[in-house]
Amino acid sequence: MVVAYPMKRSLVYDQQSCQLRVEGLPDLSAGHAVEELGILTGWNLRWTGRPELEGQRSHLEALIAAVLPYARHLVSGLRRGFGEESGPVWIGPSAAGPGHTLRLVSGQNGNPCLDLELDDAELADLVRVLDQLRLDPRVKLPLAVASPRPLRSGEIIRRIPIQRRLAAPVGGVAVLALATALAVLLPPPARQPSRALEAGLVAPPAAPGKPQP
Amino acid sequence: MALASAPPTTITAAPTAGLVERSRALPRRGLERLDLMLLCLEALDLNGGEALVWLSDSLGFGSRFPNRVELWKRRCHNPMRRACRRGDLEIDDAEALMRILCGMADRLYPMVRTLLSAAEPADLTAQRWGLFEGRLAELLTERMNPRRSSVQKLLDPVEGAAERRHLVQSLALVAGAGGYERLRASLLDAAS
Repeated sequence: MVVAYPMKRSLVYDQQSCQLRVEGLPDLSAGHAVEELGILTGWNLRWTGRPELEGQRSHLEALIAAVLPYARHLVSGLRRGFGEESGPVWIGPSAAGPGHTLRLVSGQNGNPCLDLELDDAELADLVRVLDQLRLDPRVKLPLAVASPRPLRSGEIIRRIPIQRRLAAPVGGVAVLALATALAVLLPPPARQPSRALEAGLVAPPAAPGKPQP
Repeated sequence: MALASAPPTTITAAPTAGLVERSRALPRRGLERLDLMLLCLEALDLNGGEALVWLSDSLGFGSRFPNRVELWKRRCHNPMRRACRRGDLEIDDAEALMRILCGMADRLYPMVRTLLSAAEPADLTAQRWGLFEGRLAELLTERMNPRRSSVQKLLDPVEGAAERRHLVQSLALVAGAGGYERLRASLLDAAS
């Protein structure tokens, strides 16, 4: 007699505005326990009042790879986009306001890309469900998540708007140019003959080639 | 199909593998920011000072910070303070403060979220921000050096609004176990 065990598992991570559900199976060949999830068969993300997102493992990895670095940079005060332009997920500051735009490109031909406008609270909810997933000890998926690193000084300086960054050097160059122009405009002082020469105390310099007495 | 919901996140359960190097003290800006974020938590929770001590005890830092005074002494490494202590904050102390901050932000996450949500009624949000900013201004005036331009900017109702919002947004993004790595990396920014 063959006994079929219900192997398929579903893990749910809830926040106020979104719910992430991952489904899969334990990879028994890798020694996973029955309650663990080693093979991902599908996932979906439900938003309040927005279309439900679903996809494969690569899409989930792309979502994590874009959203978590974006959140980490926001903590440092750096607002810039993350994710490949041609990839399935891109997130960046909203062009319309202070929020965030999550752009999802469908893998099916003919489907237009979906732009979701998130406010700060919705972004924080999304970050929390992704954190819950990657830190869940029952999830044995090798999700490639780069650990956050401190920003280099070159990256930090991007926080300052370019006008403010350029104000000091441009101002300095302008002042230097103005000072140089004024200096050039001033007439050179007339050369005064020396008083000793006038009084005949000093002999004028001898012409070259003439022998000195 | 078996259905299971996520287990509650615990700060102490955060994995430490892959973190940035431990042997780096927080730079001046990192110290300022850490203390300001703790101050924001105190502004959100009226009993925040006691809650920080209680949380440090429950996270296993009871011997390090047995009372409010010990916690205050470590936080006084912030150069913006009226009574500022010289020297670097010990790495273990800084890490403990960061864990406490993440835990406290996690506990107050619903409150932080309501401040940031655009779905809440605008007048209610404005009222909440008013209460938070008033309390934060009281704490800043009481504890920080008012001659410092960064303190003056934070206290300015117009100029400091963006910075105050950024502090609250950062609290939302570092709340919980997963936020610790983000917080640590961001506080070490200027040291790299």
